Amino acid sequence: MQFALPPRKSPHPLPSARSTRLPYHRRKQLKTVAVAAIAIVTILYLLSYFTSSNSTSAVASSASTSGVVIVTVLDRKVLSESFIKKIVTNREDYAKRHGYTNFFASTSDYEDAIGDSPRSWATLPAVRHALAQNPSSKYFFHLSAHALIMNPTKSLKSHLLDRSKLESLMMKDVPVVPPDSIIKTFSHLKEKDVDLIVTRDGEDLSPGSFILKNGDFARYFLDLWFDPLFRSYGFAKAETHGLDHIIQWHPTVLARTALVPQRVLNAYSKDSPGAGADGTYKDGDLVLRFPGCEAKGGDCDELDPYYMLWQRKAKNG
Amino acid sequence: MSLSRSPSPHAGGGWSSPGLTPGSGSSTPVRGYSPNTLAPNSNTKGNSTWAAAKAKSNEVRGYPSFATRNSGFFSRQKKKISNQLPSFNGHQSPHGYVDKDVYGRERWRSSAGGARGTLAILLRRSRVRILLGVFLACLAYICLWGPLVHLYRRSPLGGGRKFVIILGSNVEGGVMELKGAREWAIERNSIHNKQEYATHWGYEIEVVNMLAKKRYSHEWRESWEKGDVIRQTMRKYPHAEWFWWLDLNTWIMEREASLQGEIFNSLDEMVYRDINDNNPLNITHPLPEFYLDELGRALEGDGRTDSLQMLLTQDCSGFNLGSFFLRRSLWTDRLLDAWWDPVMYEQMHMDWVHKEQDAFKYIYQSQPWIRSSVGFLPQRSINAFPVGACGDQNDPAVHYQEDEHDLVVNMAGCTFGRDCWAEIYNFREIANYNNRSVWEKVHDAISSAFEGLFGSGDSAGE
Repeated sequence: MQFALPPRKSPHPLPSARSTRLPYHRRKQLKTVAVAAIAIVTILYLLSYFTSSNSTSAVASSASTSGVVIVTVLDRKVLSESFIKKIVTNREDYAKRHGYTNFFASTSDYEDAIGDSPRSWATLPAVRHALAQNPSSKYFFHLSAHALIMNPTKSLKSHLLDRSKLESLMMKDVPVVPPDSIIKTFSHLKEKDVDLIVTRDGEDLSPGSFILKNGDFARYFLDLWFDPLFRSYGFAKAETHGLDHIIQWHPTVLARTALVPQRVLNAYSKDSPGAGADGTYKDGDLVLRFPGCEAKGGDCDELDPYYMLWQRKAKNG
Repeated sequence: MSLSRSPSPHAGGGWSSPGLTPGSGSSTPVRGYSPNTLAPNSNTKGNSTWAAAKAKSNEVRGYPSFATRNSGFFSRQKKKISNQLPSFNGHQSPHGYVDKDVYGRERWRSSAGGARGTLAILLRRSRVRILLGVFLACLAYICLWGPLVHLYRRSPLGGGRKFVIILGSNVEGGVMELKGAREWAIERNSIHNKQEYATHWGYEIEVVNMLAKKRYSHEWRESWEKGDVIRQTMRKYPHAEWFWWLDLNTWIMEREASLQGEIFNSLDEMVYRDINDNNPLNITHPLPEFYLDELGRALEGDGRTDSLQMLLTQDCSGFNLGSFFLRRSLWTDRLLDAWWDPVMYEQMHMDWVHKEQDAFKYIYQSQPWIRSSVGFLPQRSINAFPVGACGDQNDPAVHYQEDEHDLVVNMAGCTFGRDCWAEIYNFREIANYNNRSVWEKVHDAISSAFEGLFGSGDSAGE
């Protein structure tokens, strides 16, 4: 049978169609519930995705204030007053020019802590002491008593601590302890991760001149370095070998250490043994150290001509 | 056309069915009517037929023409049936009113035969609906509740993925000793116990193989693999925050007790940082050195809960590292790094009988930076001992208290002259009893009551 038109639909809906009316509301409600449920689940997932990475709280490691403290440890038992006066004058002049703070420590104060170990270990509690006394300073520059600041106009900031300056000076992927330690400085080290700036001479890292940033790392580094078992071990060069040891064996220290060329912080006088390649003092370098005198202990005649030179510079500068 | 329709009456009374005589009720009426063919007959006989029918109808109430026809069941019942059946033709509503907007609504009401029918149908329908709803709810509960709870516990809100349980297994396996059936049983059961707990709360679990390796053997760094393993696990779960080291000879007693609820939600109340509170090692605290800063000389560190990076317990002889927590942080990196050092190890390996535990004890004392971030938990919170470890008398500070539902039992030192498997088996049974499901508890209660009855009857009979 053929129909010209499709059969007209009955105006009365089929009995089975009646069920659509009431569930229409329900379907709407169900839809809302389903949408809400999906939204909640999605939010949970998103939250888990984004917040879980933040859940581990990074410990604020550094004090945010600025300021430099120059730490000098003076062993009044072996140094004469006149020598100490020269060193103090040299440091105070530099600090005054750039607004730094001086922290002069006396080895005898730390004798109890050092015990039977060599007196040169006193550097570590002295720097720790400086940190405790100047909690709001950012940098702590330890400089041996047998050293002079030869370029008074050069600030540490422009010379080294400035971000781009430090980035350019950092030596990456070089053996930590010369000449051929298998432990090399990290090649991916960033300036912002640096908490310790140190140099090496021809044989070892040089604890006679380093810069430490205030913060948790500083406490960790100094406490580890000063551990009684290192002091009692009998390292031939005491804390110098101790530093070599912890930097090579503890990657959490190495990961925060920037090695810079020797002359940046630690130029040696021309007669001293053990200077690294291009480690001997040239005019214009910031720091001049006398490791020969240091090894002997006591006053340093070698220093006198350079002290005169510095006095002239300081007057002119 | 409906079967219940009676033949249409004519205008003058009577109807058009032909040959209907009072006695002819047995004949089937012609369905439908065709006035064209039958009209002449009906016209001639109409009156007499009508009269006869009328007379008959006086005798039988109802529809006279069908009075003799209700011989079959359907014929007898069809009126009733059809009255109850809904009619789908557009009947007028009893109120004489049709809501045009909701067309068709009245059809139900009108044909249902009054308010009682309507209610019955509604009731019937809503009962079905309620039943269906309950059924669906049960089904959803059975199928979805578990996954939903699990999803929540794994989410950042539940925080399950912040915790990783690290279980050292296969201790010195394969090298130092041959494993017997008991060792295998301990291992299997202990791992299953932790896996069950971790799954229940959405925690991560890492079972690590502590196989004795050459690089950890004597004169090198025996037993310091703990640190390496924790570091590896931290790399493997980059989103986790707390890492819970558990020795193999431990048993988690309370499956229903979460780490958050037991410890981490009330960390500042549970933890003591001043070791003088319980100081079996007689460690000098706080440190007296004048050159240290305030934090180094502090009694309670900085006092902030979020600076706690390591949580451990002390037993009767000092630090115990059978069950401890480490939090992912720079501090923890440094601790794991400083924990083992060749120069220290070379000097101390003969003295450090408990190896990494003694080494930690040493650096805790010698390096001030560690103290401020170490917190101590009461021993029974994560490291209860069985009687026999730390004394044979039950000491409520040290030993597992069943009625207080301690979380973890550590069979510490069971390898030295005690029976590890017997102890683990014992605590497994206690834990199973404590962790019964509701159904099992009901079942136990009933069966014990039944047993009591039976037992009393038995004794009465004797």
